[in-house]
Amino acid sequence: MSNQNEMNKELTEELIVIKGLSKSFPIGKKKTLNVLNSIDAVIHRGEKIAVIGPSGSGKSTFLRCLNCMEDPTGGSIIFNGEDLADPKVDINKHREHIGMVFQQFNLFNNKTVLQNIMLAPIYLKTKKAGGLFAKRAVKKQIREEAKEKAMQLLRRIGLEDKANAYPSTLSGGQKQRIAIIRALAMEPEVMLFDEPTSALDPEMVGEVLDLIRQLANEGMTMVIVTHEMGFAREVADRVLFMDGGIIAEDAPPHELFSNPKLPRTQEFLSKVL
Amino acid sequence: MNFLDEWSAFWRLFYTNGGYKRVFSEGLKNTLTIAILGLVIGILIGTLIAAIKVMPKYKTLPKILNGVCNVYVGFFRGTPIVVQLLLAYYVLFPLMGVSIGSLRTCILIFGLNSAAYVSEIMRAGIQSVDSGQMEAGRALGLGFTPTMMKIVVPQAIKNILPTLGNEFIALIKDTSVVSFVAAVDLYKVFTEIGNANYEYLAPYLMMALIYIVLIMMVTLLFKLLEKRLHRDDRA
Repeated sequence: MSNQNEMNKELTEELIVIKGLSKSFPIGKKKTLNVLNSIDAVIHRGEKIAVIGPSGSGKSTFLRCLNCMEDPTGGSIIFNGEDLADPKVDINKHREHIGMVFQQFNLFNNKTVLQNIMLAPIYLKTKKAGGLFAKRAVKKQIREEAKEKAMQLLRRIGLEDKANAYPSTLSGGQKQRIAIIRALAMEPEVMLFDEPTSALDPEMVGEVLDLIRQLANEGMTMVIVTHEMGFAREVADRVLFMDGGIIAEDAPPHELFSNPKLPRTQEFLSKVL
Repeated sequence: MNFLDEWSAFWRLFYTNGGYKRVFSEGLKNTLTIAILGLVIGILIGTLIAAIKVMPKYKTLPKILNGVCNVYVGFFRGTPIVVQLLLAYYVLFPLMGVSIGSLRTCILIFGLNSAAYVSEIMRAGIQSVDSGQMEAGRALGLGFTPTMMKIVVPQAIKNILPTLGNEFIALIKDTSVVSFVAAVDLYKVFTEIGNANYEYLAPYLMMALIYIVLIMMVTLLFKLLEKRLHRDDRA
């Protein structure tokens, strides 16, 4: 409670500013399908945002546009003073600071759990230290630091005994928790979750949500696309209801869930709650 | 002469007079050198071409590179390897004023030829890897090339290993045409042994045997390799 003031102050710092974000996919030769129609949104540092909405509403596309996994076809995404939607911007540099967790986990199948976590930090830090020409001692130090960090993260989720296992031997819940700490190993400023529990067996949903909840309590900025309404209500500071490629309703969870303004929000909530 | 006489005449040339030394030190050595180095060059260039072909194509450079690769693959798959060898050895290199010797010409041409085939094999392999693997790498801030090299290609190679084994076997057998450009391989050595007393049955039988044994060993090698690469799969 002592840092309540600090928390409030933090929430006013704009981390990602989205203006007029549009995305369309070509279908056939002449037609295009507009998935996102000029979306405006602001994500503040330390804020937890849940994105909900019916399927096909563009919520996953919206999330994937934030780190340009899908290239936006219009608008701007200002992050750290640069526009990510601009093709000239080095997107890799920014993706290091934007963690992403996928529905299908996407652990690297040819790498052990430990290698999965260490790969990107080691590669990127070595590259900054001079790549192939980095001094051996420096490389060794980077490797050791990455390993220590990875083991520390594995201990945190209680999977240190799986460090040398391959992903194919793990359960879905274990894979997703490792995918989350793999993103954490990059020390991101914001985490994007794309339906992190949708591909899990019901009994494994809890362990993954617990980990995300922990991160939320530690003050991590996050955007979560989810169908877990209870979780969204509990964790989120703000819930975005998307429909037809726009943010139809944007409100704190208690307001949106108990007193939705729009008829379509009411209709959607009546179906899922 | 019946077969036994033929065989004993061949055996005298092959074993007693030390012809086998040349078979191994020149014939087999060159055949293997051309096939192995050819495959290595093929995999390197082939992977590069495959990577260019699966690149996202909304920028100009990948489009141009893609066009170049298409021409390359079109040429090397569209002409017989003998024609490529002859063109390189008797036309292109003399015109350019370079002389790298027949063995090196063969290694180069077999490598370039194999690259065209491997590129298509590799492209299929890359496309067989779940696109989420590439996405996960990119989302962590890795570029297209490092993600390709560290994540996607190793998994692709695992998937295409049997086909790659096929390519290697074809390459070994194709080396029997290198005598067109005066390189010495298994076929050339055994022909010369046959030329010594104009009896070809026994030498060619022996040659066939060596090819078969060689290819059985390659098959075994690829089986072992496959087993090793599949260690990260669930049993």
